[in-house]
Amino acid sequence: MNLIEELQQIHEQAISAVSAATDAGELEEVRLRYLGKKGSLTQILRGLGSLSAEEKPLVGSAANEVRVGIETALDEKTRAISSEALRLQMMQDSVDVTLPGRRRPLGRQHLIERITREVVEIFVGLGYRVAEGPQVELAYYNFTALNTPQAHPARSPSDTFYVRDQSVETGLKSHDSEVLLRTHTSPVQVRVMESSKPPIYILAPGKVYRRDIPDPSHLPQFTQVEGLVVDEGITFADLKGTLEHFCHEMFGSDRKTRFRPHFFPFTEPSAEVDVSCGICAGSGCRFCGNTGWLEILGCGMIDPNVFEYVGIDSERYGGFAFGMGVERIAALKYDLPDLRMLVEGDMRFLAQF
Amino acid sequence: MRVPQSWLSEFVDVKLAPEALADRLELTGTAVAAVHRTGETLDKVVVGRIVDKSPHPQADKLWVTLVDVGGTEPIQIVCGAQNFEVSDLVPVALPGAVLPAGMKIKRAKLRGVESAGMNCSAAELGLGSDQDGLLVLPNDAPVGLSFSEYQGLSDITLELEITPNRADCMSMIGVAREVAAVTGVQFNSPTYSLLDEGPSIEDAVDLTVADPSLCPRYAARLVYGVKIGPSPKWLADRLIAVGARPVNNVVDITNYVMFEMGQPLHAFDLATLRGDDGKAQIIVRRATDGELLRTLDGVERHLDSQMLVIADAGQAIALAGVMGGAFTEVSETTVDVLLEAAVFDKDSVSRTSRSLGLLSEASSRFERGVDPTGCVAALDRAASLLQEICGGVVAGGVIDSSPTPPTIRRLELRPKRLCEIVGEEIVIGDMINILEALGLNVEVAQDVLGVDIPPFRPDLEREIDLVEEVLRIWGMDRVTPTLPSGTGRSGGLTRAQSDRERIGATLRAAGLTETMTYIFAEGRDMAIPGCNSVPEDEWVRLMNPMSEEQASLRRHMFPGLLRSVSFNQNRGVPGVHLYEIGTVFSTAVGRQLPREHSMIAGVLNGRWMPKSWHDARVRSSSPKSKPGSSARVDDVLDFFDGKGVIETLLLDLGIETATFTASHYAWLQPGRSAQVITGSDVLGWLGEVHPEVLALYECEGPVVAFELSLDLLLTNAVSVKQYRDVPRFPPVQLDIALIVDNTVAASSVEMAIRESAGRDLHIIELFDVYTGEGVDAGKKSLAYSLTYRSKDRTLTDDEVKAQHERMLRKVEAKVGARLRG
Ligand SMILES: [Zn+2]
Repeated sequence: MNLIEELQQIHEQAISAVSAATDAGELEEVRLRYLGKKGSLTQILRGLGSLSAEEKPLVGSAANEVRVGIETALDEKTRAISSEALRLQMMQDSVDVTLPGRRRPLGRQHLIERITREVVEIFVGLGYRVAEGPQVELAYYNFTALNTPQAHPARSPSDTFYVRDQSVETGLKSHDSEVLLRTHTSPVQVRVMESSKPPIYILAPGKVYRRDIPDPSHLPQFTQVEGLVVDEGITFADLKGTLEHFCHEMFGSDRKTRFRPHFFPFTEPSAEVDVSCGICAGSGCRFCGNTGWLEILGCGMIDPNVFEYVGIDSERYGGFAFGMGVERIAALKYDLPDLRMLVEGDMRFLAQF
Repeated sequence: MRVPQSWLSEFVDVKLAPEALADRLELTGTAVAAVHRTGETLDKVVVGRIVDKSPHPQADKLWVTLVDVGGTEPIQIVCGAQNFEVSDLVPVALPGAVLPAGMKIKRAKLRGVESAGMNCSAAELGLGSDQDGLLVLPNDAPVGLSFSEYQGLSDITLELEITPNRADCMSMIGVAREVAAVTGVQFNSPTYSLLDEGPSIEDAVDLTVADPSLCPRYAARLVYGVKIGPSPKWLADRLIAVGARPVNNVVDITNYVMFEMGQPLHAFDLATLRGDDGKAQIIVRRATDGELLRTLDGVERHLDSQMLVIADAGQAIALAGVMGGAFTEVSETTVDVLLEAAVFDKDSVSRTSRSLGLLSEASSRFERGVDPTGCVAALDRAASLLQEICGGVVAGGVIDSSPTPPTIRRLELRPKRLCEIVGEEIVIGDMINILEALGLNVEVAQDVLGVDIPPFRPDLEREIDLVEEVLRIWGMDRVTPTLPSGTGRSGGLTRAQSDRERIGATLRAAGLTETMTYIFAEGRDMAIPGCNSVPEDEWVRLMNPMSEEQASLRRHMFPGLLRSVSFNQNRGVPGVHLYEIGTVFSTAVGRQLPREHSMIAGVLNGRWMPKSWHDARVRSSSPKSKPGSSARVDDVLDFFDGKGVIETLLLDLGIETATFTASHYAWLQPGRSAQVITGSDVLGWLGEVHPEVLALYECEGPVVAFELSLDLLLTNAVSVKQYRDVPRFPPVQLDIALIVDNTVAASSVEMAIRESAGRDLHIIELFDVYTGEGVDAGKKSLAYSLTYRSKDRTLTDDEVKAQHERMLRKVEAKVGARLRG
């Protein structure tokens, strides 16, 4: 058998040995057997030197071809084996993707705060700033400067919390105190009008207090957002446009609004604003008490008496104010059965929003 | 204010259907609470006579009645009302009846006693608002007759909500005028005539108004020889429809005229009025402090000198504008009746009725204001009804403290100004039409309308009031919406406001959920160690709290949060992580308004997450619970979870210099509480709540709580953070374990390392704290991973080694730390 034939035989044996190998170890054995230092192909290549000048190149190139062929087969088989091993490993590593993930604790924003932020953002977009004021207020800012008569029921100790005034000697009866828990955020408006010049475009969100026993629809402490605009040439039409814009942003552009004339001591003309019921689209249902409308806001043009208290010329400047109860909006938007849930801190409730 | 359409239509011919009228009223400023229909759905309700009444054997407030409903036998009905006697006639709903509110009447056992129907109140039949007792019918009502048949034709009643400024709409005539104006039809002003041919009233009654400021007008008429009895049915029906309960013909007439004309009237039994010279005395004066008056409702009232009374020569006989007295009440034996029509100061009536908790139909009218020119017309109307119904003779003349003629005031309205305020071009003709429809006379001059205000509209005082009248009737819905066109404004939040929102967002990202608690401090909040020693003067006290338990404003927020922890624990919630951004209050002698501080408070209790299939895996792969170490038990949140939240918050705000130092707060567990400080500012505190405090709130511990000053966080927050080079050269990392005395704070070891190492020590991370086997008692092992890295070159191992060893020697000298072998 000549060397060429021997080479052919080695090639065939090597190829079949490669394909018979089942793991990396066997494959390495095959490599050593043919290509290793003592491998059969190596032996032949070592013997090249003893060949004739004619045979040498022929056998040399044939041997090289065989070597390349075996190496290629080995490489392919190596890849095949490792990819098979990887496949098996991955099969072992597979998981039940329906098992729960490793969750991070995530806190939620309180519903009332969230709605308040929504309202604030809408008005910031219209060029408003946010104003704040004390929660314990003087009767002057909470009532008097807002044109509320001395005998107005809202001032009575059955409606308003009065606070001990430590700047005076006595004050045994609550209606003698000039200090109270603010009953709305309107005193912030008075303070702003007192301390700054028009144009004024502000929003005053905050906690307010009224002497109501907590029940499903009342809390003694709740949240209001009030707005105030004072500028030249402000009209009732501006008030209407502003609040229609707000209602569309807040409740959806398909909702209609309705202005009903009303009475408030600090605005005139005054109105209450209804938005069409989102459940029945205005045709009447249990949710809206069959009226098709939900009352959302109180509003009006600043009463000239209020301007007089804060020293703004009501002939030159006009203005409007509006206010809404955030708890009420929450109750309407989410159909809450009981407002007291808002102050209990129940994780199962708070985590819903 | 309930307005039956049958009554309203005497003064205005309403052409709209009730729902359309209600809509129109809503859109012009009179809210309509409900539209009631009566007389339509009263099947199986009949007239019955109570033939027997005995107390229920099982219930104090119930009666067992036998009622004749025209059948062979009386039926037995259990009844809770108290205002009836045997032989009274009442409406009876028989089994099968469905009442207007939807209540279905069935045979039932009430506390063990059979009841075969229900005796009804006016409210239950949809006839009025009186729900306190049975509707007792006139004595001539035929027993067994269907109640609808007896009651007559069905009617529709509008229930209106009159705003406080519209005194005039507290009467049928006033509402009729308003309805005429808003629907554009004619208002028919009523005219009444009266023959007053009896002996002059002057001979029988003397009037003194001692306090004209609280009683601008007091007028009276006298009617002799009336016959007291039940009112005719039409009169009783109307009173029931507006929500009043018929009493007798005289009282009913005074009420009827009040509902019709808006002027409250009162009837005195002349024979009960004391006087002298054979003349009864009427004195309008302030009460004396401690004066007693038994009012018509039978309650003895203690009066004070702020209150106005009507008195006779002896004592107070009526509470002016609020309620009459029992002693001078018209009764079955009354013969001569003195009718009072007065005007009382609205603030005075309001104060009196509120301080006595006595709101009446009369006081609600005086509070809004009563037309001072209407007194005599109301007296005339009532006297003529008395003549007609009770057969009396009207004494000649009227006594009147202030027979002033009606005063018309004139206001000016600038049409141009009106359009400027409304933002809509309303034509002058529309303005005039609207004002005239309201009963105001208008005189047109150049650029201005002169508007005469009649006395029944005292609320119209200024030009703006007329602007409102025109706008509400012209139609707010017709105004085209616009947005303010002014320039020179820019919206946005201040830095403090947006930082506050950011703090909330960071706390939520750190796992805390926002909550809201009351600002009222409860008694036990004030009993907490550390809070109970606060001087009385420093608490902000409410003068009229809802309960003594909530009479102060909070100085801390954690007690409210502990309540929430307890609330959740009682309901089996496995983890509570709450924060609140709120206000606390404190004050001092001499302060009028208290100090208000904005705070951030939080509580952590239980676990971050519900138990999970991951937990076992995590625990088995990192065996942490070495004996004696502070490793947590079962992942229960502790001090370090709270501290981690605050560290995260400080990191986000760029407050890098803050430190936590062991500190004592009486409400926190000693050894697990710290103060958070930056520079000279104490930002707040953090710790596990003292077990004794937890017991006060019925909480299971541990509960971690913290309170931080929002204001101080905001002033220390770094708004613009500095850029620092990101490391470019490779690190050399060395792990060491140092043995120190247990008493040495980890922070001082870390500070010693940092001070002792050269500037190439980049990161120090404490990765283990160990006590126990292999470490002497009283010592602990702190394991650090140190990262050395130069800013400008690659460090060699030898360089690092030299630095490291130098550092170890210094640390040993500083804190007695020795390298663990
Ligand atoms: Zn609806």
